[in-house]
Amino acid sequence: MATQQNPVQYGKAIQYQLQSIVTPVPVYAAFNRNFATQPKFIVWMLRNVHQDVYTGPVQSVKGIDRPTFQISIFTQVIEDGFTISNQILQSLHGYSGLFGGATNGFQIAKADVFWLYNTYDNDEKLAQIFLDCTLDIPT
Amino acid sequence: MALPNKIMAGFSAALYAQSGATPTALTLAQLSTLGNVSGIAISGNLIPVEAVPAFGQDDAVASFGVAGSRQSDKIPTQSAPTSLSVTAAWNPSDTMLLLMRGDAYSGLIDRTFVVSATEGSNIVYYAFNARVSQFTIDSSPSAEAKCNFTIHPRGNLYGWSNNA
Repeated sequence: MATQQNPVQYGKAIQYQLQSIVTPVPVYAAFNRNFATQPKFIVWMLRNVHQDVYTGPVQSVKGIDRPTFQISIFTQVIEDGFTISNQILQSLHGYSGLFGGATNGFQIAKADVFWLYNTYDNDEKLAQIFLDCTLDIPT
Repeated sequence: MALPNKIMAGFSAALYAQSGATPTALTLAQLSTLGNVSGIAISGNLIPVEAVPAFGQDDAVASFGVAGSRQSDKIPTQSAPTSLSVTAAWNPSDTMLLLMRGDAYSGLIDRTFVVSATEGSNIVYYAFNARVSQFTIDSSPSAEAKCNFTIHPRGNLYGWSNNA
């Protein structure tokens, strides 16, 4: 038996956890309007919030949630981006325990970070690195 | 209420079991009696399975070949209710899953199980008496832990009913 969990909690926990890993680099949800003046910043986007649906008329029979959030690292110096991505990898990949701090956090069975690729945006003069992090959240 | 007259989604099936560590299983007549069966098919008795496996009767046939005879013969026999291999998300404090674990540990407890197929308020019930065997917990790192168990019905102890 598992009720659907609240994505608002996920968002708050992701914001807190990323911020605590990369501080003092600023962390934003989905969009940063100050990008022109900041040499480093991180944006995250949550997707694939889904608990498996199981049989029967009772709605609360579901599996665990395995949401993924994409972490986009923007830096003016390419090496800074690699350094920050390493910070996130070292801290988050394989992590098990309280995720998101005491106030809004929850226990996760595992965090799995997938380093996707790096690229460069010539118009914005920003190097970019993208990572996916999948959380296994017991219900 | 009429019987559903439509093709049903497998999703609307649910599996229930009698509660209590030492239940009194229904009699053969009660297994096809709506009043007895529907009392078991309540939300508190729901087993949180991922999907209800195929249920019904096994194939059973006796084959005879007689020397000198041109053709052999196949004669259906009274077949047993089919065993159900069930997968459920493993919740260590779910009352019904603990009952299944206890039944598997005992190996001797006869319990009445009910499969309901639901469409709106129209329900078809399949009820049978069975014992539980083979209780395993599969803790894969990429999904929720599952418990798997097999429900073996006793012979000639099942019945169909509906709320029509």
